[in-house]
Amino acid sequence: MGMKRLELTAAERNDAGKRERGLVLAAQRGDSTAFRALYEDYRDRVYSLAIYSTGDDSQAQDLVQVVFLSVFRGLKSFRFQSSFSTWVYRIAHNECQNYHRRRRANVVPLEVILGGIEEIDPKPISDAQHARQECQSIVQQAVMQLPFQMREAVVLRYVEGLSYEEIAKVLGCAPGTVASRLSRALAELEERVRPFRRFL
Amino acid sequence: MSCWRFVLRRKLLPYIEGLLGTRDVMRLERHLLDCEPCREMLVRLRAGHNLVRRLAPVRSTDSRQPSFADLMRAQSEMASTRTRRFLTGWDWSDRLATPRVVTALAALVLLQTVVLVVSNRGLVFGERTTASAKPSGLELSQFRKLSISELKFNSQPHVATEGYVEGVHTDKEEGTVAFRLVESRGGSQPFVVCEIAGPIQMEAPREGSHVRVYGVARYDAQADRKWYEVNPVFHIDTLGH
Repeated sequence: MGMKRLELTAAERNDAGKRERGLVLAAQRGDSTAFRALYEDYRDRVYSLAIYSTGDDSQAQDLVQVVFLSVFRGLKSFRFQSSFSTWVYRIAHNECQNYHRRRRANVVPLEVILGGIEEIDPKPISDAQHARQECQSIVQQAVMQLPFQMREAVVLRYVEGLSYEEIAKVLGCAPGTVASRLSRALAELEERVRPFRRFL
Repeated sequence: MSCWRFVLRRKLLPYIEGLLGTRDVMRLERHLLDCEPCREMLVRLRAGHNLVRRLAPVRSTDSRQPSFADLMRAQSEMASTRTRRFLTGWDWSDRLATPRVVTALAALVLLQTVVLVVSNRGLVFGERTTASAKPSGLELSQFRKLSISELKFNSQPHVATEGYVEGVHTDKEEGTVAFRLVESRGGSQPFVVCEIAGPIQMEAPREGSHVRVYGVARYDAQADRKWYEVNPVFHIDTLGH
């Protein structure tokens, strides 16, 4: 599990950006090792967005594959008009949106995230870790109950660490709209989680 | 009760996240001193923000995620399927002959026909014609409908008024068309002066025709004239000849 982007320093972000640009240019020239490196950098991030969007592990994995096939096909025409990450997240956002349009479902079943977390880590954990995971799962459940548009903004900002401007480019809206969407989401989350305050 | 200062309210979350500049912080904090709804919202947003900071990326185990090799295999399968279909050609005729494609094509032809008939219905049916150049974002239903006599009581900018056309005057040099609209045929009062001005291009209405004119309401008060105007005209509906 990598550091959230919000936690990187400006210098670290700059270095990561230069490395990434080099990889993208190499991949555009046909270097499959470079493309593999990009895939491995972004696979988990796209999966995280997909699982929060769908709540279903197998759907999320399908989405990951669809997203990267689109990235692979479109890579040669990528012109660095936005950052590579914005471009990838935009493709992921479009695929998640298409998924929801096909499913016509905005509210996602609650149990999958909890089940997924327990399966990932079968080793015995301490009480403190258990308590932390319980808190996290309450918050995740509440996030999964948000409407898709709000949920996506929350995940892009607080899980993937994108800035307001980057989220605006991914979602195709103004930064002010992102701020409004996040504000409504946080107010709604606070209301939903209020009955469980004593567990947090 | 809620606060109408929605531009400031939108800054509450960036304020919590420390993203605002000094000037915005001072402005917001001054507002918060006097605004209880915003203070309440700030408390809720702070609580919500503390919650979402606990969110973590959800990662599946590597064995359950598609590997790079899986991805490359899927990519080459797709590429060879596309090549095979292109070379054999069978796919195209099959694709075109599906009921879904046939229905979509039929719908497209029908839509084109409807669009052609509607845009030329004056020619087809000899009915009312329209000329239009309304500004984008403005619907005709948003223009206030009133009679020529009611114009003097009007305070709305966008109006629609009807009457009979007389005294059509075209100024080719200026690129304008002006005409009077009178409330009743044969009478001279009340009237309104309408002007179609460049860059709006539309056909002048026929003398004597009964029209409804959409545009901006004005009052022209000069030494030699004082009258109400619809200037510029955005749209004209011909109601009769």
